[in-house]
Amino acid sequence: MIMRGRAIAPGYAEGEALVLNESFSFLGGIEGATGKLHVRDGSVAGKVFLFPKGKGSTVGSFVMYDLMVHGKAPAAVVNRTAETIVTTGAVIASIPLVDGLDVSLVRDGDRVSVDGTRGYVELKGVQYIETVSAAILVDGKVLMLHRPAGAHSFPDCWSLVSGKLERGETPEEAARREVREETQLEVGLPDAAGTPLLIREQQTVWKVWPLLYRLKAAQPVLNHENTQFAWVDPAAVGNRCTVDGLAAVLKGLLG
Amino acid sequence: MYLTRDEQAVLDGEQGTGAQKAMELVTALGKIYGADGLVDITSAHLSGASYKTIGDGGLKYLEDLAAGGAQVAVSATLNPVGMDRERWREMHITPEFAAKQLRIIDLYSQMGVRPTCSCTPYLGDNVPAMGDHVAWAESSALSFVNSYIGARTNREGGPGALAAAILGKTANYGLHLDQNRQPTVVIEAEGMGDSVFDYSLLGQAVGTVVGGGVPYFRGINPTVEDAKTLSAAMAAAGSVALWHAEGCTPEAGTCRTAGLETVRIGPAERQKAKEQLNTTDDPQLIAIGCPHLSPKEMRDIAALLKGKQKKRRDVEVWFCTSAAVRAACPDEVREMERFGPVLADTCMVVAPIEGTFQRAATNSAKAGNYLPTLCSQKVLFGDVADLLKVIE
Repeated sequence: MIMRGRAIAPGYAEGEALVLNESFSFLGGIEGATGKLHVRDGSVAGKVFLFPKGKGSTVGSFVMYDLMVHGKAPAAVVNRTAETIVTTGAVIASIPLVDGLDVSLVRDGDRVSVDGTRGYVELKGVQYIETVSAAILVDGKVLMLHRPAGAHSFPDCWSLVSGKLERGETPEEAARREVREETQLEVGLPDAAGTPLLIREQQTVWKVWPLLYRLKAAQPVLNHENTQFAWVDPAAVGNRCTVDGLAAVLKGLLG
Repeated sequence: MYLTRDEQAVLDGEQGTGAQKAMELVTALGKIYGADGLVDITSAHLSGASYKTIGDGGLKYLEDLAAGGAQVAVSATLNPVGMDRERWREMHITPEFAAKQLRIIDLYSQMGVRPTCSCTPYLGDNVPAMGDHVAWAESSALSFVNSYIGARTNREGGPGALAAAILGKTANYGLHLDQNRQPTVVIEAEGMGDSVFDYSLLGQAVGTVVGGGVPYFRGINPTVEDAKTLSAAMAAAGSVALWHAEGCTPEAGTCRTAGLETVRIGPAERQKAKEQLNTTDDPQLIAIGCPHLSPKEMRDIAALLKGKQKKRRDVEVWFCTSAAVRAACPDEVREMERFGPVLADTCMVVAPIEGTFQRAATNSAKAGNYLPTLCSQKVLFGDVADLLKVIE
């Protein structure tokens, strides 16, 4: 999977990912001579270090230089939002820096390459798949489908009508096709579209397009992809084992 | 971001690696803040001068930069360092610290930076003109030149300001642009006296309320000393880099205030600001001169001390100013030295006082904010006359 961010500090590097899902201060957050982190276990030395944003003292820039002097600098840094301290430190210590990316999609141990000159970050061995997630609503209840125990992704879990976009399809076209295939129902244009979500599941990043269809009545007829269906109060979906991000999809569509 | 052919050539390394690194830094900072290009600067003022604050990482960075032959292209001055260059023993500084500190000053000098080591270079020989684009670090000084002089600078960091000084250019965004210099909030200051300390309290209260905004003051007419104190306090309590005062500061006449929120700061708010910073009444060190004392402040303090005696031997008194002001005020220095050293090039915040003291007194809201965090001190925050009562 290749992500496009902003090229901030130039250079190219590859390494194993080390992810911190909180703002980070190089002053106090790390030992300059060893690269050992104080805020979690592990060392940044030679790693691709990913965190949302820098914070704290401007001396943090010099701590990054100190890491370089000791040969313990990260191979590259990736931020959600680059600020002055980390940007300054990355440039003076010749560490490639890319920002504008959702670092929570990356897992410790991922093989990552960072192109700080062009702004690309590649997660090696991670595939990127776009899907639709269609909420069919009748009388305030949402249609949920149960996946068989042998399903490829999220086995034995409940989901909305969902499926991958095929080549050249828009999310609306994919949703109409998936609804027809999985339930034999016919839908027209969606009543609402939510902001797409990005979800990491093992070696896959799913981009999920949420769509809402309000129907007066519906009698679903399932195909082999699901084992049973249920009409569920949206507030109660959390009581079931569901695919990741389902609550967020519904919240985005229904408020 | 648009670069001219010459600027691109520097980025491509055609002027050597020192200039290339400087261009990488200025353009990277420009990118993250949405600059459309670069702008020529007339001067720079650099922070990152005290060994206490930059550490061995910073020292090594300066060693490498100087060894690479980096030279500043515009007039550049340096912030206070961790000690008085001559009288560091009186500050309980170790010889190891002193050696590294002197090395840092030497490295900046090698790069063409003037080692005046003051946070008030605008009272000396680094004075921008109205409308000048400059690259200044040191939050109090950059706010002063933005606001009281009408020069234009963002809140630069030490390495960013140094890179800009090497290139003679900085990224064109933020406070370099007209539209970002308009006020965001109106402050009605009520019941202000003529004491500089009132401006410390006002700045503390306003900085806490407005954060990084651009306040437009009504009801004040600050002198140079007042403006210096107000700038320092608002930059430390918040991150104010520009303010205007009606009928006083050079850009106030072009400010649009219609529709802005108005905040009243009166004696009660100022008293609350004072209480915020007070955590002790038993200081071991009384440190005055944040920002560095001006000649007028030296005269005022000397007049206050005339005829008085220091009775408490267990409390030290430091006065901090620039070397130029100290040299220009020999009579005042003589009067003040009866109480404690008049130190140049340094201050209570960037010196490693935490090795000697745990409780410090100051009349500066800026020092009042930083003494607990950077120097592990409990603080007595009050007017100079009140602080001196501790030792009479």
